[in-house]
Amino acid sequence: MADRRRVNGPGSSTLPPVYDDGELNAASRRQRAPDAIRPLYLKTGVTPSASGSAYLEIEPREGEHGSGMKLTCTVHGPRSLPRSAPFSPYMVLSTHVKFAPFATKQRRGYIRDSSEKDLSTHLETALRGALIADRWPKSGVDIVVTIIEGESTRQDAVERRVEEWDVMNVLGGCITVASAAIADAGIDCVDTVSGGVAALVASKDGDDASIVLDPVALEHESILAACCVAYLPNRDEVTNLWFKGQLPSSASYNHQSLVSRAVQASRGTHGLISASLSEAISSTQS
Amino acid sequence: MAPPTTYDDDDFVDQYDDIEEEDEMSAEDKVAMQQGTAEVQKALGTEASKVTVAQIQEALWHYYYDIDKSVTYLTKTFIAPAPKAAPKPAPKKAPEAFFDDMPWLEIPKAREAVFIEPPRSVGGLLGGSSSAPKMSKLQALAALRKKKAEEKKDQERTTPPEDEVSKLSISDKEPVVSHSHAPSAFARTLFGSALEADQTQRRHVFAMPYTQSSSFLANAFSEPSPDDIVLAAQAKAGKKTPATPKTTKKSQKNEEAAKEGGLASSVSSLKINDGPPPNSKGLDVIKEFEQNASKRNASFVVVGHVDAGKSTLMGRLLLELKLVEERTVDKYRRQGEKIGKQSFALAWVMDQRSEERDRGVTIDIATNHFETESTKFTILDAPGHRDFVPNMIAGASQADFAILVIDANTGAYEKGLKGQTREHVLLLRSLGVQQLIVAVNKLDMVGWSQDRFQEILEEVSGFLTGLGFQDKHVTFIPISGLNGDNIVKRTEDAAGLWYKGPTLIEGLEASGPSTARALKKPFRMAISEIFRSQQGTTTLAGRIDSGTIQIGDPVLVQPSGESAYIKSIMLDTEAKDWAVAGQNVSVALTNIDPIHIKIGDIICHTTDPIAVGDTFTMKAMAFEHLMPMPVDLHRGRLHAAGQIQSIAATLDKATGEVVKKKPKVVQPGGVARILIKLEAKVPLEAGQRVVIRSGGETIAAGLLE
Repeated sequence: MADRRRVNGPGSSTLPPVYDDGELNAASRRQRAPDAIRPLYLKTGVTPSASGSAYLEIEPREGEHGSGMKLTCTVHGPRSLPRSAPFSPYMVLSTHVKFAPFATKQRRGYIRDSSEKDLSTHLETALRGALIADRWPKSGVDIVVTIIEGESTRQDAVERRVEEWDVMNVLGGCITVASAAIADAGIDCVDTVSGGVAALVASKDGDDASIVLDPVALEHESILAACCVAYLPNRDEVTNLWFKGQLPSSASYNHQSLVSRAVQASRGTHGLISASLSEAISSTQS
Repeated sequence: MAPPTTYDDDDFVDQYDDIEEEDEMSAEDKVAMQQGTAEVQKALGTEASKVTVAQIQEALWHYYYDIDKSVTYLTKTFIAPAPKAAPKPAPKKAPEAFFDDMPWLEIPKAREAVFIEPPRSVGGLLGGSSSAPKMSKLQALAALRKKKAEEKKDQERTTPPEDEVSKLSISDKEPVVSHSHAPSAFARTLFGSALEADQTQRRHVFAMPYTQSSSFLANAFSEPSPDDIVLAAQAKAGKKTPATPKTTKKSQKNEEAAKEGGLASSVSSLKINDGPPPNSKGLDVIKEFEQNASKRNASFVVVGHVDAGKSTLMGRLLLELKLVEERTVDKYRRQGEKIGKQSFALAWVMDQRSEERDRGVTIDIATNHFETESTKFTILDAPGHRDFVPNMIAGASQADFAILVIDANTGAYEKGLKGQTREHVLLLRSLGVQQLIVAVNKLDMVGWSQDRFQEILEEVSGFLTGLGFQDKHVTFIPISGLNGDNIVKRTEDAAGLWYKGPTLIEGLEASGPSTARALKKPFRMAISEIFRSQQGTTTLAGRIDSGTIQIGDPVLVQPSGESAYIKSIMLDTEAKDWAVAGQNVSVALTNIDPIHIKIGDIICHTTDPIAVGDTFTMKAMAFEHLMPMPVDLHRGRLHAAGQIQSIAATLDKATGEVVKKKPKVVQPGGVARILIKLEAKVPLEAGQRVVIRSGGETIAAGLLE
């Protein structure tokens, strides 16, 4: 029973109504070139207790629809498997992707929900192709990615129902940050895998569809399809591919074009991972 | 030539398609550059001399031949650079002084701070347009060349996606590294790599406002306060008296008489509690004991299920023997009436503690003495409640024989047989008690029914025989503890006249110590009670398990290993010079600090001390399933937590031969050799009987090996 001697606040919070004409104003439109990806900040070795760790941040944009993403990844292992686990000649990889409860406008639960499990599975597939697992028999490695701040933290992200597209960017970020963390942990890989996202966006008229790299869903009128790849640039291999949405039948774009653009985006991200890792090495040497 | 307002990839492709060498400008560019240079010089007019042609061309190149922007840039940078802000003279006042004349409220406008948002870096090229930062030409060129190289490679593969890609232009391969942005405030806080500038500006020492005060002394607390000085002096003065006795005691113990002369002078002013070790009379105790024609001693423990009437029976016994006066019991009865427990009056003779009286159950062993014509008896009244079984074990280990009290009431008897009646009998057997008097109590409640008595007799004797009690050592007596029938006097109830056997007191006299006293063995005594007297002597009560002692004997208290001397021996209430095994005595020790003595410790002779250990092998009879698990080991008052470490073998019950080696579990009723590791070192030796309990239940009993 509530304390009746106090003036208690309402049980749940409410927001003042916002009347929106529904049109994107110029400031919130995409101002980058269609094939430019947002600036990133990547730092490795952020969690001292973990074998390897990394922090990735996408530069938030100033303004109404400012969106940035903050992810952190810790790698624990390789460590010996528990006694109860069956023998494995390969390293057992387990990935956990978790949104912090405050990461998105809609609060997340403390227990992993289906979308987070989905992301974990994608991340596992993406990393498994890059790891040289048979060098670590009878051992396991845990990769934990925590999304500290999601792609769209603002209210209109919820209103406009663009979260399903933001998942793509989150996965791309997860792959990139996990790759850096694995490198930081010193686990053998064939290449640093990097994530990239490309999307087919339609302008207001509807006819004028174009492909953009690293899409921010709020900056576009609508997204028709999106694709996230995990790519090994030095081997020119794709380890994980996630395609979502419907391509318009009339358009001249096909699936392959979208995939190849996503690959380009991940090439861009790869440069950043290399730079960050070499910076980490030089800072430890000096 | 207006600069492109929006950035278009294809323009770059067209514009630079024909570039062969990166150093050389195209013909168009050269023309445009010359024209631009001339126009800029014209625009600058007289100021043109202040800039070089190279600077003009550089500017033009950067601004895409935009004359206006170039002129603005040149003017700003080279011709009339904005005067650098003269460094402000450092304020002479100390920062603290700045606030000296500052009122708390209504701050004058002039003193208010104005916050200016720090300028944001736009990125991209210098000055110029407000549009989004665009790529530098160099970047564009690099990207173009890279793309061309890719295209050549891709032509060999000719996969459809790559075809699509080739149509697209340049900046896809743009090195994103250049776009790596500075960490956000969040990241900076997280990784502690605050900006260098911030760190240099931060002051590491802040003057506290009170340092301005005239009464402030920087070194006020560098020396002890007046209070501290006084306290220290008091402590120094007061310490002398309490400190010295301790040292004397210790040194005396260690060095004995060797240093006594030197010590005497220093301690002459002090009062020493401990005298020299008491003189031993050097008696041959065994001979004395044999010559002594005194009455024999016997101790018995009273066991049974809770509320069977054990304490009441003992109270009645003492009352009938005139050891307790009638008016004491009447007083208890009146007190009991007040709280509605009239029937507890007799039990209160034994249960002295207020907690025991409130709850109406015996909690700890109550000891009492009485004597008949032939024997001196020691009563050990054990608690029946299941929570106090460890206390019952302590009592049973001091006893020669036992009285098992059974409630004859319908229901109560059956309950008892399932409960503590059974467990107690089991414990008695495993602790080596062989003689048993079964007192079938409360027969007045069932109208002195002979059938009921017979039924109980048959059932219990069957059960006792099963446990290995011999029939000749078991006596059944029907009694009524509350009324006192068949205890000292025979029953006067007509219904109970069928009973012709002995009364309880006759039964007690008939029983005696079942085993020969171990007089020749080394002296062992388990401490069951400790009394501290003010004279510095410590008095211990307990039963001598084996051996003999006399006054003046040096003894050792195990497991602490402290030595002491026996100052006096009390048997029941009279002082003695010696004591032998089987007697319950009180022993006063000197030269020992009571903190070294615990209930459950063993006293032994210094010449033949008991070993202290924490790992024991024992032959155990299991009452429950035994497996490696945490257990409690009980021996008398001594109990220690530990663990069954391993089970070496199961043994044949009769022959003791190994049946199975290294079994995982011992079934109830089985006999096994087990290894127990205790958490603490305890004084135990081979041949002693111990009880193993776990989770409040007795699970095994056995003999140490």
